[in-house]
Amino acid sequence: MSLVTIRVDDRELEASDGALLIEVLLQNDIEIPHFCYHEALGADGNCRMCMVGIEGQKRPQIACDTFVKEGMQVSTKSPTIRAVQQEILELELINHPIDCPTCDQAGECKLQDYYMEYGLYDSHINPADKVKHHKHIDLGSSVMLDQERCVLCARCTRFTTDITKTNELGIIGRGDEARVSTMPNKKLDNPYAMNVVDLCPVGALTSKDFRFKQRSWFLSTSSSICHGCATGCNIYIDHNCEKYKDATIYRFRPRINNEVNGHFICDTGRLSYKNLQTNRQREILSEGKVIAEEKAIKQYKKMIEEHSNICILVDANCYNEELEAIVQYAQTIDATLLSPLACYEDETFADEWLRSSQRVANAKGVENLGIKTDIPDGYTTDLLINFNHPKPELIASKKKIEFQSHKEREAYLVFPLAVFSESSGTVTNRDNLVQFCEKAICSNEPVPTVLEWIKKLG
Amino acid sequence: MIQETKLVSRRFKIPKVYQLETALKYEAYDTIKESLSQSPKRITNLVVESGLRGKGGGGAPAGTKWQLMPDDDPRPSYLVVNCDESEPGTFKDRQIISRDPHLLLEGMILSSYAIGANHAYIYIRGEYQSFEAILQGAIDEAYEASYLGKDILGSGFDLDVTIHRGAGAYICGEKSALLESMEGKRGHPRLKPKTKEPEWYFDNPTLVNNVETIASVPYIVKNGADAYRQYGTECSPGTLLFAMSGHVNRPGVYEVAFGTSMLEYINHFGGGMRGDKKLKALIPGGSSCPVLTADEVSKATLDYETLQAMGSALGTGGMIVMDEDTDMVEALKNLLEFYHDESCGQCTPCREGTGWSDKLVGKILSGKGTDKDIDKLLSLADLMNGKTICVFAPAVSGVIRSFIEKFRDEFVAKEQK
Repeated sequence: MSLVTIRVDDRELEASDGALLIEVLLQNDIEIPHFCYHEALGADGNCRMCMVGIEGQKRPQIACDTFVKEGMQVSTKSPTIRAVQQEILELELINHPIDCPTCDQAGECKLQDYYMEYGLYDSHINPADKVKHHKHIDLGSSVMLDQERCVLCARCTRFTTDITKTNELGIIGRGDEARVSTMPNKKLDNPYAMNVVDLCPVGALTSKDFRFKQRSWFLSTSSSICHGCATGCNIYIDHNCEKYKDATIYRFRPRINNEVNGHFICDTGRLSYKNLQTNRQREILSEGKVIAEEKAIKQYKKMIEEHSNICILVDANCYNEELEAIVQYAQTIDATLLSPLACYEDETFADEWLRSSQRVANAKGVENLGIKTDIPDGYTTDLLINFNHPKPELIASKKKIEFQSHKEREAYLVFPLAVFSESSGTVTNRDNLVQFCEKAICSNEPVPTVLEWIKKLG
Repeated sequence: MIQETKLVSRRFKIPKVYQLETALKYEAYDTIKESLSQSPKRITNLVVESGLRGKGGGGAPAGTKWQLMPDDDPRPSYLVVNCDESEPGTFKDRQIISRDPHLLLEGMILSSYAIGANHAYIYIRGEYQSFEAILQGAIDEAYEASYLGKDILGSGFDLDVTIHRGAGAYICGEKSALLESMEGKRGHPRLKPKTKEPEWYFDNPTLVNNVETIASVPYIVKNGADAYRQYGTECSPGTLLFAMSGHVNRPGVYEVAFGTSMLEYINHFGGGMRGDKKLKALIPGGSSCPVLTADEVSKATLDYETLQAMGSALGTGGMIVMDEDTDMVEALKNLLEFYHDESCGQCTPCREGTGWSDKLVGKILSGKGTDKDIDKLLSLADLMNGKTICVFAPAVSGVIRSFIEKFRDEFVAKEQK
């Protein structure tokens, strides 16, 4: 498609001929208020917030239904446009309950942001005249609906109609009685349902899991990759460290990557953060009793010396960097290295969109390093050192040493291990894409990572 | 001397003409056989030449719309007849379907043949249950007599006609919302295309026309474009089933040529004002048209161009007559309650604007209003104009503006003392 030049306020921009104006504006970081337009859902034209002035057009036009052409002159900040934006915003808010102090969306709400930017008017409406709707509707799938806060942008209904095609949500009622709802006796119920919480630009749809746990402005955000399956959906980890307490993760949110997950993640992945902070192994155990690290390391080294037929088992959720270090370490102590992958398979989890049947983050990384992924027939070992693999019982062994993140297995020696959110590294997804995970949180008493243990055990 | 020009309503007074047997005695379907043996283009050309304007309220030239239908599209074409007559003050289409449904069917056969449609729908207002029964009876008779169905009168042309009942939403009279509704979705108007193109029913090219528009086609096909043009004005050729309700002695529907004096129409057919009261105001073409003062009514003629020049519109030609005792604030409140209830709720200015303006007028009516509220109403009217997907909000905007601008005294008189 040919390129054209357009003028937006005092900037000259290049854009594809016929491109949607709102997309051109957003791609060039030009602020344009909008509710109903969403990159993944397209334009709907209902909210009327993205009004711009187009030279030669008598009336303001919506940028989500305007297609650029050569020489187009657009104004986004003229007094007329500012006035229209303010008036439309006022209409969005006349029946809104303005309950920001008790609203979970406060701090990341488009209505709040736009009011501070385009509103700042005094209210003209008597609160008693506002249209009342239901405020606590459990839609199912961990999503709560507050109909009064809704701006009827229809992002959620378009998501269930066009993306998941499950059609659970619709708009009922007319005029200012219009509201989002499920049909009678129906629930919002699909594996991607919680994405409507991210799509909702206001506080109408909130996550039952997250709401009232934290104010959004207390949260810090790190970029990471979901470890729920081999797809490698890009996520944000939102976390906070309250005074004197351990840093805590409060939610995962999808991070846009059009090559992998687009704008969305599945609910299982979204809620998998909980597993990172429950039932964690934090102490070093010898025969079930807590011992000091120095002593444990001594015992460990002694066991290595005493055994010759050693097997190292490694979890395919480990970072590539950790896998490499383990490969080297196995050579150093002359151990057999295995990472059986079959046990991660779960056909019932898979679908044709984001969910992969291979429920492990770095299986491709294991294969790329040439680590053996199946167990030779009749294989037994004298000493099994397990780096967090979920099924060490697959290998018959006389003695066992466990490095585990969760209190799941017993062994002669047990060492605690950090989870992925506590360190950084890369994982390789099912399409061989290598993706980086930032270290998100650090406990007050940090648990060592694989790399740190290998260094200590040297 | 003012008189009716009965092109569409010609058979209305004949008893039981809704029955095929009677209708056939009075020339029903006599254009079909010949027309189906000639080129479909002939009918389109006649409609274009006649200058027939759409009679659902917008008044766009019908022929231009017909010409947007593609000639060589592999997809099927459809004709949809809009019988979702829900505009307050408008009750003309129901006369056609209940008195002379075979005229509509004849028009549908001709129109479908012209645009190459083998399936035509009639989208009928849900409340029109009894009229629908008559219409369905006529359709059944027409099938029986081979005016509908396969190989109509041996011509090789097939046409099925299906009635689709609405569920009681005013907005479904807007053609794109009507098609959404027919597709089984919520009746929301669609974003307007940037270029001229037909409507789309399940992505198939579709022509949507009002009942009276299609019912005018048989006359044009039978008598020619010039015969139609001899009535009415240059810009508004032909006739319209004008309707009149409100404070007149004989409310009703009377077909006259465009260009007729409005006052004469009211006095002659309506028998003047009820109880010999004075005329105060008149809404010319269904409730969505800006109100006219008595003075304006005396100068008005019933055609698109005159009323447009007066800042109002001819709309559907359904006039609401109001006498000197009418409280204009109450009248506006009555209309706004309707629009408040009927806004589909899609676009923000309409969804919230109709409700808010209704509340503001209610406040003024209850004696608690101030100048500020009147000004807010005017600024709301501005905001509702030209900022939505369909013309519902702009119409409401025009109504509010006209009431306040022309009768501001009455609003001020009700203000808080």
